[in-house]
Amino acid sequence: MTVVVSGDGLLVPRDPRPLLVEIDGHYVWSLTPLRDGRPAAGGVLVPWPQALRPHLRGRGRIRIRAADGASVLYDDEVRLGASEGRLAVVDGAGHRLSVDKVGHLTRTFAATDADIRQEILRGARRAIDDLREGAGVAAYLNYGALLGAVREGRMLAHDSDIDLCYLSAHDAPADIVLESYRITRALRSRGWSVLRMSGGDVKLLLSLSDGRSCHIDVFSAFHVAGTFYQLGNRSGRLPRSSITPFSTITLHGHEFPAPRDPEAMLAFLYGPRWRTPDPSFKYADPPAGVRRLDGWLRGFRTEMGSWTEFYNGHRRAAVPRRRSSFAQWVGTQLGSLPVVDLGTGTGRDAVWYARSGRRVIALDFSRASLRLVRRRARRAERAVEVDQLILGELRSTLLHGTRLARAPHHLAARQLVGCLDEAALEQLTILARMALRPGGGSLFLEFAATHDGPGGADGSPTEPGGLVRRISPSVVRAAIERAGGVVHHAVVGPGEDIFDLPDPAVCRMRATWPTRESP
Amino acid sequence: MTVIDLKQRLRAQARDRLPAPIVARLRSRAGLRARVQALEEEVQENRRLNRRIAELTDVVVELLLPLEARDRSQVEEVLDRFRAGL
Repeated sequence: MTVVVSGDGLLVPRDPRPLLVEIDGHYVWSLTPLRDGRPAAGGVLVPWPQALRPHLRGRGRIRIRAADGASVLYDDEVRLGASEGRLAVVDGAGHRLSVDKVGHLTRTFAATDADIRQEILRGARRAIDDLREGAGVAAYLNYGALLGAVREGRMLAHDSDIDLCYLSAHDAPADIVLESYRITRALRSRGWSVLRMSGGDVKLLLSLSDGRSCHIDVFSAFHVAGTFYQLGNRSGRLPRSSITPFSTITLHGHEFPAPRDPEAMLAFLYGPRWRTPDPSFKYADPPAGVRRLDGWLRGFRTEMGSWTEFYNGHRRAAVPRRRSSFAQWVGTQLGSLPVVDLGTGTGRDAVWYARSGRRVIALDFSRASLRLVRRRARRAERAVEVDQLILGELRSTLLHGTRLARAPHHLAARQLVGCLDEAALEQLTILARMALRPGGGSLFLEFAATHDGPGGADGSPTEPGGLVRRISPSVVRAAIERAGGVVHHAVVGPGEDIFDLPDPAVCRMRATWPTRESP
Repeated sequence: MTVIDLKQRLRAQARDRLPAPIVARLRSRAGLRARVQALEEEVQENRRLNRRIAELTDVVVELLLPLEARDRSQVEEVLDRFRAGL
């Protein structure tokens, strides 16, 4: 059959074998037609992955070949979109990128210089040493790096990061989370930049000499009630004796600890056919295991990645830089007290609050937002204290609550409550209860409210892209009152969304917490 | 009448024509499904407590205990008051 390449995707034969896609000789994506596509006249239509779409404008030579190298299905010059430029999937610095197995654009080892690869391997070795010496956990090489070492004696061409795992001695999820917290502290004290991805895994950001950073994932592995769990999302049967005591494996001249039985680990991860290369491989994790891991370890950063994409992407430019009408409303009620802008976003209001010289603290859970606000405050020459607050991670909420409880101030949050799940909303009210304890300050809220018209139901998505949902003012009021607050003002009327576009129902609310008697 | 209302009415009419034992069996199956769903939600709710326990333990061990060491006399007073209020 004829393969067709279009802006929609690839029309390819109904084939169970994985295929590789290259643009101008550079690998960009791998797919398995029967798994990734939908039946269409003449074969299977596999849509382009979301991450690639913004790059598919212009002319280029597209080649589609079988992953086993047996055949080339397509090799021709194509034009996608209206642009006459060359198709190129690159980052801002011109580095070639490709789609990884979780759908993100990343730089693969095939597109990485040998010197940089050595830096990455030395970094992984240092991480293993720091985990052992600083946190007392023994880590082993796993996933793509282990597969590459065992099967090909080198890093896999289409892999993009290094994964380390450690086998926890604990079997209670709460203890496994605590161990992961301890690991974070130990690694930070040794100079690592650490991102927490769940209660059981962190990402180390390794700065490379070519200006970018490589991720080293540190995953916990543990047994609960006889089942083996290994983050990301793996679960099943694998005894401790397959992992410890460790064996040793060599990768590009570096020795790494590996599971005692690497082949058993690889079969657990990739199935019995792990010896056959499949760059389009996707995990088929048991749903019950994923459900357990979600419940035990996750829930505090579900939409963090989407917000980071928003703040780093082109749509951010549509958020006005001028203060919101909410800030103007709040501004008339602030007196001389400091203000804390919760869920500060682009910082448009935080920077404006700071114009009078009052103390302003801007908090958000997205690191991309925090970077943006720091930059804007610096350019505007305003003093804004910027920090991360993760409502949903109680440690973060309690820490900020304790700090803020020491002096009077106001809290302002525009379009924040519509981003929160039930647990995070509860933590917002805990924070307000603690932070407004000294008295004199108020909690000011603005959010997209429920209404009777189309799209007005509770939980209905609003901009940007459903990351903010409508919420009933009565739900917010009840949460405030459960935490001991008193709502003084709650008015619903026409207002604006995050882009300042008209919204038929926006609620403004002001609440205070009665000052508690001194002990 | 919404589609959901219509479906419910049709189901009710169909059940009225079925013999009582079959209706009872259908109802008990539907009830079981609802109970399993509720149980699954409750189990997931309990699993979430693991992270909360870890977070609270971390705050106590890493934050409160070191703070305690800095101002012993005041902490003694707070502890006494807390104990008295139990």
